[in-house]
Amino acid sequence: MAKRGFTRRDFLKGTGAGLAATGLGVPLLLPRKSYAAKKTLKILQWNHFVPAYDVWFNNTYVKEWGAKNNTEVIVDNIGLAGINARAAAEVGGQKGHDLFLFLAPPSAYETQVVDMKEVYQEVEKKHGKALPLAVHSTYNPKTKKYFAFSDSFVPDPINYRKDLWDGIGMYPDTWDDVRVGGRKIKEKYGIPVGIGMSAELDTAMAMRELMYSFGASVQDAQGNLILDSKQTLEAVKFAKALYQEAMTPEVLSWDPSSNNRAMLAGKVSLVLNAISVTRQAETDKMPIGKDIWLAKAAKGPVRRMGTEHVMNCYVVWKFAQNVDGAKKFLVDYINAFRGAFLASEFYNFPCFPKTVPDLQKLISNDPRATPPNKYAVLSDVLDWATNVGYPGYASAAIDETFNTWVINTMFAKAATNTSTPEAAIKEATAKCRQIWAKWKEKGLI
Amino acid sequence: MKPAASPPTDPARRAGSGGALADNEKWLGRVMMAPAILYIAALVGLPLLLALYYSVSNVTVGSAGWPSYVGLSNFRHAFGNPTFIRAVWNTIFFAVVSMAIVMVLGTILALSLLKDFRGKWFVRLLILLPWVAPISLGTIGWLWMFDSVYSVINWTAQYFGIFGKRTWPVWLGQPTLAMASVITVQVWRLLPLATVILLGGLSSIPKDIQEAALVDGASVLRRYVQITEPLMRPIALVALLFGLIFSFTDMIVIYVLTRGGPFDTTQVLATLAFFTGIDGGDLGGGAAIALFLLPVLAACVILILRFARKTEVT
Repeated sequence: MAKRGFTRRDFLKGTGAGLAATGLGVPLLLPRKSYAAKKTLKILQWNHFVPAYDVWFNNTYVKEWGAKNNTEVIVDNIGLAGINARAAAEVGGQKGHDLFLFLAPPSAYETQVVDMKEVYQEVEKKHGKALPLAVHSTYNPKTKKYFAFSDSFVPDPINYRKDLWDGIGMYPDTWDDVRVGGRKIKEKYGIPVGIGMSAELDTAMAMRELMYSFGASVQDAQGNLILDSKQTLEAVKFAKALYQEAMTPEVLSWDPSSNNRAMLAGKVSLVLNAISVTRQAETDKMPIGKDIWLAKAAKGPVRRMGTEHVMNCYVVWKFAQNVDGAKKFLVDYINAFRGAFLASEFYNFPCFPKTVPDLQKLISNDPRATPPNKYAVLSDVLDWATNVGYPGYASAAIDETFNTWVINTMFAKAATNTSTPEAAIKEATAKCRQIWAKWKEKGLI
Repeated sequence: MKPAASPPTDPARRAGSGGALADNEKWLGRVMMAPAILYIAALVGLPLLLALYYSVSNVTVGSAGWPSYVGLSNFRHAFGNPTFIRAVWNTIFFAVVSMAIVMVLGTILALSLLKDFRGKWFVRLLILLPWVAPISLGTIGWLWMFDSVYSVINWTAQYFGIFGKRTWPVWLGQPTLAMASVITVQVWRLLPLATVILLGGLSSIPKDIQEAALVDGASVLRRYVQITEPLMRPIALVALLFGLIFSFTDMIVIYVLTRGGPFDTTQVLATLAFFTGIDGGDLGGGAAIALFLLPVLAACVILILRFARKTEVT
């Protein structure tokens, strides 16, 4: 009998056998895992800007907490840019982590998360009231629901080159100082001011700080849209002058880390940022570190007002497998917050100030800093830091306005003469009206 | 006594038994096609239907339950937004200019690679690299090249005296330069695919036709216009179609480089849809923006495919 070749029948048989071995055969050969009584708690949070924090949180704190509570804690760290997409995916699939950390108030997810009132109450019994900043970022007065729990926030001070500012005999205390001093430094040293005017987080914060200091706001305390105001016009006109006198077009291209790079490369005289700039200089032992100093948020014609740079907001999804475990974790975490403050190298400031009773002492004498009291300027940060959405609460409308960069674009268009300040404000207001109408219709504002 | 059963002769009947399936063309074909059809239905068809529904609903990222139907209000909102109008024009400009450059460069490269020369494999490898590398990684490389502080392009140009000492273009910070930059990266990214497709088309042209024209004394240009180009047209249209669809629907290059900036001058529909739907939380609004070009794209696809069929040489 002649030997036949490899037929289609052989192919199907072989493939079927292979599938059986790999897909179906495995469960028969390997016994299934038996499920122990040990609980599981899944946490998702960002790759912290200070790597030492993740080391402490993932390898020390979480392990100790897990052992004490007979729980296997799984921490997944993802990049900052992926948080929103990940949250949308988890909600879409109704499956994911028990505890999910947002870095801005996640108001749009209110209907998908459990009320955190209980957690606030439990923590407040021991540590006193949470900062208004935290409550304004996690509470919806319309629905009376705490849609998140905030453990900490990140201050947003001025980072400036002391050598250059000393060189012109000025200190950046007010917005006018920033403009006039910035112009003088640019003229004398050829080094501009570096306050972002692009579609990114740091710009969004900086422009709001400017607005609040000029008495302008996107909304009032009751959540009504009040963007189109005289105060906003003054703030936008000022930003235009600041850009044209003291900055260069590079700020129009920036991402959130660009101002860090520009400052550390010695290319700008002043930025608004968290303490990540100075910390990086210290970690990498960069000679420029000793020249980069911190100042409070600049004072405007109406007040001195800055924003949080990052607002930690933990949510527990309604579909979470371990809701009680997640709540307990947060309560215990606040009890241990001093460790978190130290591990974050003063990046995460407590929303319950009593958890770090020696905060003033710690920031006034940091052995890594040159001079050691470099961070002491943050001691009264609560007097000049507020939430996005000030003087109201962070709502879904505020969130969408923030994340679609409406305010950033308004300032950039006016600064570059693409629009007049009036036209830029009108355009931004029209966009905001749509956003407000939409969320009002959904009953969240 | 029961009569002995006769062996099945009809293939359709034989298909009932597993062993006979392999011999049944009709059923085997269906079974073999089924995974591909299921895959397309599950991963392309269903999401598309869902997006269509989202675009006429009030769904948000935090919606609980089945969202309500709101008619065309998401589309009306989009039309009332000047950023959306800007994004439509930017999308068209970005896709058309990118593909025009890709087709010209792709044709030149394909014609060059058709010839034999030393190191041809290495040149082919270099051309294919942008296609092989993950798009996001490649784009991050470009981000550094365009960086306002560390731009390698600026440093090199200054070193060789092309730029003056005070000339330092901010590639991603000035509207015209920013659009030119994102188009450059899109061309870099799509050129390998277009070149490979065009090279495949060129290789399939029978050599005897070219040789006959050569014998008849036809010039290079005439051979290209009268032989190569007409024979290449169907395959060139496929390359154009793929490239256009990639450019109309992709957001990675712009998201990584400019995030739509400066002040929306590079905002395209895909990035605006992402910012509105995912970051802004308005999934319905985002879906409406993302789907806006669907009818236009579908019409483009039908037109180009029809044209390709007409010009096909049999």
